Amino acid sequence: MREALLIARREYLERVRSKAFRISTVLIPLVFAAIFGMGALSGNLGGGVRHIVVASNDPVLADCTRIELLTTHEPNAGRKRDRSGQKVQLLVDVQAPVADSDLTELNSEVESKAIDGYLWLHVVPGEALPQATYVSRGSADFPGTDKMQSAIGAALVRETLMKRGVTSAAADGLLRDVELKTVRVKNGQSVASDTGKSFWGAYIMAFVLYFVVVFYGMNVAQSVVAEKTSRVFEVLLATARPESLMAGKLLGVGAAGLTQIAVWITAIFLLSASALGAELGQGGLAAYGITPLQLVFFVIYFLLGFFFYSALSAGFGATVSQESEVQQFSMVLVMPQLVGLVLMVYILGNPSAWPVVLLSLFPPCTPIVMCLRMSAMAVPWWQLALSLILMIAATYGVLWLASRIYRVGILMYGKRPTLPEMLRWLSYS
Amino acid sequence: MNIVELDRISKAYDTKIAVHELSLAIEAGQMFGLLGPNGAGKTSSIRMMIGITMPDSGTVTLFGQPFARKDLTRIGYLPEERGLYKKMKVIDQLVFMGQLHGLDATQAKTRAHQWCERLQILDAIDLKTEELSKGMQQKIQFIATLLHEPELIIMDEPFSGLDPVNTQLLQDALLELKNAGKAILFSTHRMDQVEKLCDSICLIDGGRAVLSGAMREVKSRYPRNHVVIDFEGDNSFVRHPAVAEFKEYAGRVEIQLKDGADAQALLRAAFERAKIYKFDLMEPSLEEIFIQTVGRRVHA
Repeated sequence: MREALLIARREYLERVRSKAFRISTVLIPLVFAAIFGMGALSGNLGGGVRHIVVASNDPVLADCTRIELLTTHEPNAGRKRDRSGQKVQLLVDVQAPVADSDLTELNSEVESKAIDGYLWLHVVPGEALPQATYVSRGSADFPGTDKMQSAIGAALVRETLMKRGVTSAAADGLLRDVELKTVRVKNGQSVASDTGKSFWGAYIMAFVLYFVVVFYGMNVAQSVVAEKTSRVFEVLLATARPESLMAGKLLGVGAAGLTQIAVWITAIFLLSASALGAELGQGGLAAYGITPLQLVFFVIYFLLGFFFYSALSAGFGATVSQESEVQQFSMVLVMPQLVGLVLMVYILGNPSAWPVVLLSLFPPCTPIVMCLRMSAMAVPWWQLALSLILMIAATYGVLWLASRIYRVGILMYGKRPTLPEMLRWLSYS
Repeated sequence: MNIVELDRISKAYDTKIAVHELSLAIEAGQMFGLLGPNGAGKTSSIRMMIGITMPDSGTVTLFGQPFARKDLTRIGYLPEERGLYKKMKVIDQLVFMGQLHGLDATQAKTRAHQWCERLQILDAIDLKTEELSKGMQQKIQFIATLLHEPELIIMDEPFSGLDPVNTQLLQDALLELKNAGKAILFSTHRMDQVEKLCDSICLIDGGRAVLSGAMREVKSRYPRNHVVIDFEGDNSFVRHPAVAEFKEYAGRVEIQLKDGADAQALLRAAFERAKIYKFDLMEPSLEEIFIQTVGRRVHA
């Protein structure tokens, strides 16, 4: 035990003191911010004023579209804000009636950045719907395809209504969106939820699990091979048991991983407590849809997932003699977890479908899939308990298997062992 | 008391027999040479001695007791391949190794300083291993092996890659430890070093002990059949029937006698024909014994 702790301490200090640790502690949240921020910010980048032109051969339709664009843009709940907290102002001009010859001029205005884009609505006599084209410099530009589509649709209705003698104010009343509240049932209580926000937490937890487990899993494999190639093992084995070596390594590396996660969670708390973060995450973790229970399970699943995959890594690392061979192993580490990430949307949408339940009980997939399910629903306690039991049993099995392979493998150099050879190792003393 | 005793230990891996019924014993205050060609089973034997692997059969006795892991802190092992953490500072590394062998941190630090001073590498103590020369790394490893004052010291090729000055430095340290009553097992290919340092040897080949005993006694088993003669005059005595082979230099001839030949008859023949300045009937060197013993097995 003393040996294992000494080894764990060395492994922990070596990692926490390394440059790679400091860099990844800062870099990984930045990568997340980049990934998640991209979608949210893409419409608002640059902020300030957006100037677009609605051009049509039908002046009434063009005018109605302008009205609709400005109404749909009217921000509710402060969602469409840019990073400085300012509303993005939308400026819509109407140019009608226009002919095809005006296209060149509009194009050059877009190119010279005089306007951000123009919406070309061409009404063909005898056809119910106009041909609509939005031209801009970027591919996915503000105010967004969906917005424009619904604005044109509403504009057509408004035009028809007005043609039939309905007043503009009455048309406003008819075209107003119904406000939809979303509520979810959790632990027998209805909780008002913001669908967007509640899954933020799920995304973050799933990605953190994935990154950290893969990162530290590979790290374990690499350090086993490094100790093997530098022959440090020969010295260590003269006093320490191979089991202590492996346990010490996993504990040390796992503690480093936990430290990193703790830094991130603290940072989130501090950020949401500060004035700067007030806008981003009102109410701390709850704003991300993370309950304290989820946080506890997140740490438990991280630890189990880490030990499960790192034991595999340690066993694998012991069978190879060169660091370059470790790369082949990364697929084994990545694939089962990737299943959870790839199916993320499906899992969040159908958290109690039986394939999802089975997947969440399959140990290699449990950490990520369970964390996702917990964000989407209150997972029955027996499923949580069963997943923990299965995960602990599987982790124990992998640890046992890996330690048998490890104790023989770290003394073998040269050719990669075949599977039958490894199986024989299990019986060595 | 025997510090370590192997009694007919055997170990086989899959198809290959690594060690076969090997027995040996090392006493306190003894420098013991474990010799043998590459792949003879030296490392396998050492690994069983310190419990890295378990023998398939036979027993290992440490400090008069059946093998027990708690005794491992009384052993220092320097493996042939250098095993140090590249990114770790020398002092941290030494303290870590000392702690693994049961020292507390302060004790380990004090001793590490003493040893570094003695082996003249005190200025490297705050450097990382990867910044050191090969010779310096070797000295660090040497210190790591001895920090906890082991009673049994096992060294696999301890002087490889060292210059003569540093070799002498480490040899002196080892001899001092030996005189202080430590048992030292020393495994090497360098026969001249073994001949100079070891009291007893065991030569293994193909996993079996082919030659073992006290150095003097082993050597006496081999006939003195190597003769060096310094002379002046007629050299026709080299065709004497006792001579198997000879090499002639200016005023000197080195002769290999036939098995069982009488050196005195050769001396008489030489004496009759030439003026003899020196007639030296030499005992075989360990290297010759090694080549003879192992070579014979290869041919057999």
